[in-house]
Amino acid sequence: MDELLEILNDINPDVDYETEDRLIDGKVYDSFSIITLISAISDAFDIELGPEHLIPENFNSAAAMWNMIQSILEDE
Amino acid sequence: MSILSVGFLLFALGLCLAYFLVPKRFQWWVLLAFSLAFYALGGLLSLPWLLLTACTVWAAARWIQRSAEAEKAFLAARRESLSKEERAARKARGKRARRRVLTLCVLLNIGVLCAFKYVHFLLAQADAVARLFGGEVHDSIRWLAPLGISFYTFQTIGYLCDVYWGKAKAEENPLKVLLFTSFFPQITQGPISAWGGLSAELFAPHSPSYENFSLGVQRLIWGFFKKMVVANLLAVYVQRTFADYGGYLGVAAFLGALCYAGQIYADFSGYMDIMCGLCQILGIRLTENFERPYFSKSVAEYWRRWHISLGAWFKNYVYYPLAMARWNQKLGKLARQRLGKTFGNYLPATVALVLVWLTTGLWHGASWGYIVWGGLNGLFIIFSMWMERPYTRWKKALRIREDAWLWRAFQVGRTFLLITFIKVLPEVGGLRDGLGLWKRILTEHSLPRSLGELLPFVDKYRDLAAVLFGVGLMLAVSLLQRRGSVRALLGRKLPYALRVLLYVALFFCILYFGVPAAVGQGGFLYAEF
Repeated sequence: MDELLEILNDINPDVDYETEDRLIDGKVYDSFSIITLISAISDAFDIELGPEHLIPENFNSAAAMWNMIQSILEDE
Repeated sequence: MSILSVGFLLFALGLCLAYFLVPKRFQWWVLLAFSLAFYALGGLLSLPWLLLTACTVWAAARWIQRSAEAEKAFLAARRESLSKEERAARKARGKRARRRVLTLCVLLNIGVLCAFKYVHFLLAQADAVARLFGGEVHDSIRWLAPLGISFYTFQTIGYLCDVYWGKAKAEENPLKVLLFTSFFPQITQGPISAWGGLSAELFAPHSPSYENFSLGVQRLIWGFFKKMVVANLLAVYVQRTFADYGGYLGVAAFLGALCYAGQIYADFSGYMDIMCGLCQILGIRLTENFERPYFSKSVAEYWRRWHISLGAWFKNYVYYPLAMARWNQKLGKLARQRLGKTFGNYLPATVALVLVWLTTGLWHGASWGYIVWGGLNGLFIIFSMWMERPYTRWKKALRIREDAWLWRAFQVGRTFLLITFIKVLPEVGGLRDGLGLWKRILTEHSLPRSLGELLPFVDKYRDLAAVLFGVGLMLAVSLLQRRGSVRALLGRKLPYALRVLLYVALFFCILYFGVPAAVGQGGFLYAEF
C-alpha cells in the first residue's frame, strides 16, 4: 500500500488519499493522470491493466486501487 | 424526412399517441417501428447496411458473452484440479478467441463505414499520386453513404467493446439491439450513447406525465428557434462570407467567421434540443451533448463540453485502449529509462492523442481540411498538457489567481477565438480557401467606412435584428444555465400565463423569421458528418 501511496502522491500530492473516495467521479484525476497512474502501477506491481479495469469503482480511492491490484495479482 | 417539416411534426405526434396507447411492454416495439420507418423514409437502400451492423454486432456480442461465461464456468468447476499455469493458459486462449471475434466485427463495420465515407477521398489521393507518374485513377463510384452511418457504427462498436471488457451484458434479443442501433432521434446527429444508459431508457416502461409534456414542448420550441431563426439566418451570412471573403475587409471576414461559430452551435444544439424535447415527452432521457461549450477555458475543456458523447466515445474506445496498449506502455517505459520520467510519463498519452485527433478529423469529413482541423485541435491539447507544469509556475510567479474573473474571461475569450479559427478551416471550401480566410482576417487591416463594408453579408436589417436578438437570447440562457435548468427557473419565477406567453412569442418568432430562412437551409450541419 505504501508503494501505491508513493505513486499517487507523486502524481498529485495535494490529495488526502486516506479519505478521498471520489478521485474519478469528482474529476480529481483526468484522462491524462489516469494513464500516468496506470503506467506507474503496471511498472511497480508488474501487472497488465487494460480498458476492462477502467471503471470508476476501481480508481475512486487508494483502497479501491489496492483491492484491484491484489485481485489481479491473485488472478495471475 | 426533414426535421423542419409539418410531416415530421405529424410523425412525432403519431409516435407519442402510439407510444402511450399501447401496453407498456410494447412501447419499445413502437419506438422500433417508428425508427425503422424514419430510416426507410430517408432512403430504403440504406436499410440493409443498418441491419448488417445491428445483426453482426448482436451476434458478435452474444458469442463473446457466451465464451466468457463458458470459460468462467469451466474454471470454477476445475478450481482444484487445474494448476495456475493451466488456468492462465485457458484464460489466454479464451481471450484470444474473443479478441478475434471483436476485431473481425469491428473491422467489418469500420470497413463498411470507410468504404462509403472515404472511397472518393482515397481515389482522389490515388489519382493525385498517379498523375505524378503520368497515369490517372477514375472515380466512377456513385454510391451514397447510409443515413447516420458515422453515428450508429460508433455507437454499436462502443456496445461491442463494453461487452468484450465485461462492462455490459450482451442483449439476447436482436430486435432490441436493432432499436439501439436505429433509434431515430439520435441516428442522424447523435448523441452517441452507451448501451447501459440508452437501453435503460428505451426498454423501461413510461407513463404520460404533464411535467414531461410541458418541459419537452418548451425544449422543442427552443430547439426550433435556435435552428430555424438563429442557425438558418446565420447560414446565409456564412455562405456569403465563405464565397466572397477575398473581397471583404479583414474585420468583415472575421465577423463572418464568428457567424459560423454561432451557426454551427445553434444548428447542432438546436437539433439536440428538438430531439431531447421529443424524447422527454415520451419520458426518455437522451444523453446531453452540450454544456455551454463557448464558455470553456481551454481547448481540452471545450471538447468535454461540445459534442460530449463523441468526445466520450473517443476517450473510452480509442484513447484509453491506445494509451494502455502494451506497445505504447513499453514505449513509455523505454522513454522513462532513456529520456527521463516526465517524458516517459507523457509519451503514451501523447501518442494516443495524436491518433485520436487525426481520427476525429477524419470522422468529421474525408478531406485534408478536416485532417488538419483534427491535428490542430490535438496540437493545442497536447501542447497545454506538456506545458501544464511550466504554466503553473509562471502563473504563480505572475501572481495570477485562477478564480479571478478577468483571468477567466481572458481564458474563455482566447479559447473561443482559437476554436473559431480552427472551425472555419475545413468549412470554407478546400484547405486552401480556409487558409485564405485566415490570411484575409490576419493581414487585411483596413477600417470600414460604412456599415455595408463592416457587414457586407447582410442584406435585410430585419433579419440581422432577429439574429442579434436570437444570439443575445442564447447568451442569456447560457449564463442562466450556470445556475441550473432555465425551464425549471422559469417555472419557479414566472406565473403560468407569462410562461405560456413567452413560448407563444418564441413560436411566432419562428413563424415570422424562421420559416422563410428554412427554405433551402433546412439541412442540419452535423447530419453531413
